[in-house]
Amino acid sequence: MATLSPSASTLTRPARRSRSGSKGARKYAHLWFVLPGLLFFLAFMIYPALFALYVSTTGWTGLGNEFPFVGLDNFAKALTAPTFYRAASNNLIMFAVILIVQHTIGLFLAVQLNAKPRFMEFYRTVLFLPVIFSLVATGFIWTLMLSPHIGFINPVLKDLGLGFLAKNWLSDITWALPTVIFVQAWQGLGWAVIIYLSGLQNIPEEMTQAAEIDGASAWQTFWRITFPMLSPATTALTILTFIGTFRAFDVVYVLTGPIGSPAGRTDILGTLIYRTAFGAAGQSSADVRMSYAIAMSLIVFGGMAIISGVMIKLLRRREIEG
Amino acid sequence: MNQLIKLLTIGALLASTALPALAQDKTVLTMWHNHPEWKDRVEAILAKFEAENPTIDVQLEEISGPQYNTRINTALAAGEAPDLFLLQPGPDTAAAGKAGYIVELTDKLDVTGLTDAATDAATIDGKVWSVPVLGSYTVGLYYQRQIFADAGLTPPTTMAEFHTVCQALLDKGITPMIAPAQDGVIPAFLYMLLSSSILGAEGFDEIRAGTRKFTDPDVVQAAVELRDMYPCFQEGSLGTPYVEGKALFALGQGAMLEGGSADYAGFTETNPNVDLGVVPFPAVAGGKPSTVTGMEGAYAVNAGSEHVDDAVKFLQWMLSPTAAQMVVDTITLTTTEGVLPADNRVMSEMLTAAQSRDVRVFYEFPETGQVMSIIQANAASLFLGEMSPEDFSASLQAVVAPSTL
Repeated sequence: MATLSPSASTLTRPARRSRSGSKGARKYAHLWFVLPGLLFFLAFMIYPALFALYVSTTGWTGLGNEFPFVGLDNFAKALTAPTFYRAASNNLIMFAVILIVQHTIGLFLAVQLNAKPRFMEFYRTVLFLPVIFSLVATGFIWTLMLSPHIGFINPVLKDLGLGFLAKNWLSDITWALPTVIFVQAWQGLGWAVIIYLSGLQNIPEEMTQAAEIDGASAWQTFWRITFPMLSPATTALTILTFIGTFRAFDVVYVLTGPIGSPAGRTDILGTLIYRTAFGAAGQSSADVRMSYAIAMSLIVFGGMAIISGVMIKLLRRREIEG
Repeated sequence: MNQLIKLLTIGALLASTALPALAQDKTVLTMWHNHPEWKDRVEAILAKFEAENPTIDVQLEEISGPQYNTRINTALAAGEAPDLFLLQPGPDTAAAGKAGYIVELTDKLDVTGLTDAATDAATIDGKVWSVPVLGSYTVGLYYQRQIFADAGLTPPTTMAEFHTVCQALLDKGITPMIAPAQDGVIPAFLYMLLSSSILGAEGFDEIRAGTRKFTDPDVVQAAVELRDMYPCFQEGSLGTPYVEGKALFALGQGAMLEGGSADYAGFTETNPNVDLGVVPFPAVAGGKPSTVTGMEGAYAVNAGSEHVDDAVKFLQWMLSPTAAQMVVDTITLTTTEGVLPADNRVMSEMLTAAQSRDVRVFYEFPETGQVMSIIQANAASLFLGEMSPEDFSASLQAVVAPSTL
């Protein structure tokens, strides 16, 4: 024991010294664990965002090393361009329609699945499949199906005696935008079903059973018990749909091309920004205006951040009230 | 016997160590171009070059047309472009040269064998930055010979005849013209052809100089004719993608298509039995039947390449009659003077068509570089009657930046 004591003290002393000598280090030790992620975030998120902000104040075309300072000209130009508002309004229409589809058809399908029908897994998989499809592949498949020359939708309609419903889906100025929105809605419906289904499965059965015992009809049970308890799912879905529709690009680009055919009727912010940044024709980059496209992107980003924030606040308040 | 085996083993070992060394001596040149449908034909030309230059291996990557500019512009900005790459002559090449992305080739390449148009396209302010080694294209009017023969029709030479032919074909239930207008590129070429019929090369130079305008009453007629062609297009033309339209025409789903010499290879890939003829595009009243000509890109050498000399050697070989002959026989018209198609009737017809009235494509010039994108954006509105020919022409004139020629 006598021999152990000194050695024990010599062992503990440096440890005590290290603890007392690095009070600050101990307090902030956890930051070392955050550092790799922080560096990654700074390098791949913050730096590009700041660089984009800088480029948006220049006249950079996207090619070359000339960055002439133009101040806020690009922002002013975007905010006064009719094409910008036309694209934004198409996004808004797309958001409104898809939101309605998801909160009605999506909810209806989720309720049906929650009743645990036979082959529930199969139905759930089928409904969710479009979500995991490649967006470009989805666009191509629908382009082929809707084509008046090689597609099968119009011939099937004619064979069913519904020939009057056959349309030039993607070239008719009346039908092009609704068709594009339909494909987007179809592609995202699986999300709505899965989110609502998980919300429904979190509702304790005792609550609905108690309502039934109290004499509530199925309709009353749904509207008074189930639907209010789905508020968190409604909030999440609304916000995700808003962000998703204002970031839409792939499917629309494949369906109706870079100029929002026909005559700009399907032009959305994604396609407008893309063709401004990279051009609409393979033949020339003469119309490419990268800094202007970045300014438009930043306006969209800012607008989406503000609107999302307001929507979250309002929908959360509704959740609490509910 | 044992000794023989030993010798063979030693020989094999030596060979196995020497071969990688030989392989390492081979220079690998990376190259991008924008016609995936030409892959086999271009690979055949590269194989010929590699056979004559065994120390150089050219690795080709094809990127489809609509994505090409995005890819190359991003790669250039990121410093990750290949050794050799296609750039569009004119504004794109000038910007890349100014930015120091590409090697100036003025004293490195002998371009005296190029045609006048190709020399003009390769030269910017007296300096050579890129060369159109994979040919040029001339755009005219393709027609299905069998459909025309069966209907007892001849290809139109004026727009008045075009409308007569259009009506005759419609009456027989045949789609007169395939015009895939989704991305607006085909309407842009149609307008270039119609306005070239009126302007000619001199008139186009006057547009560039600012002494003539797209809004001049006689030039506005080109927009009127473009609008009036719309009923002759296939059903759903405004939503038809370019590739689908070309395939429909190759498969005989329409009687005519505005197309370039470079499209022919694609038609035969889709339908080896396709039977086409080609003529200059019908004349607008007071004009002449016309064609427009552009370069199938021009190839530049990356300033950051470690193999500049080999890349230049490759480009020089591509300018030789051997390579030019392969280009014109298998892909499109050549940019090398005096090299004619050996056995390609359609290319020969295209060369004949270009003798009527040929004008360079507008987008290869800085003064009219943006005109094409405005046509793309506004053509559908013109077809649908949402924009008058006068307003359409004014929108084009608004982006012309005249210079002193």
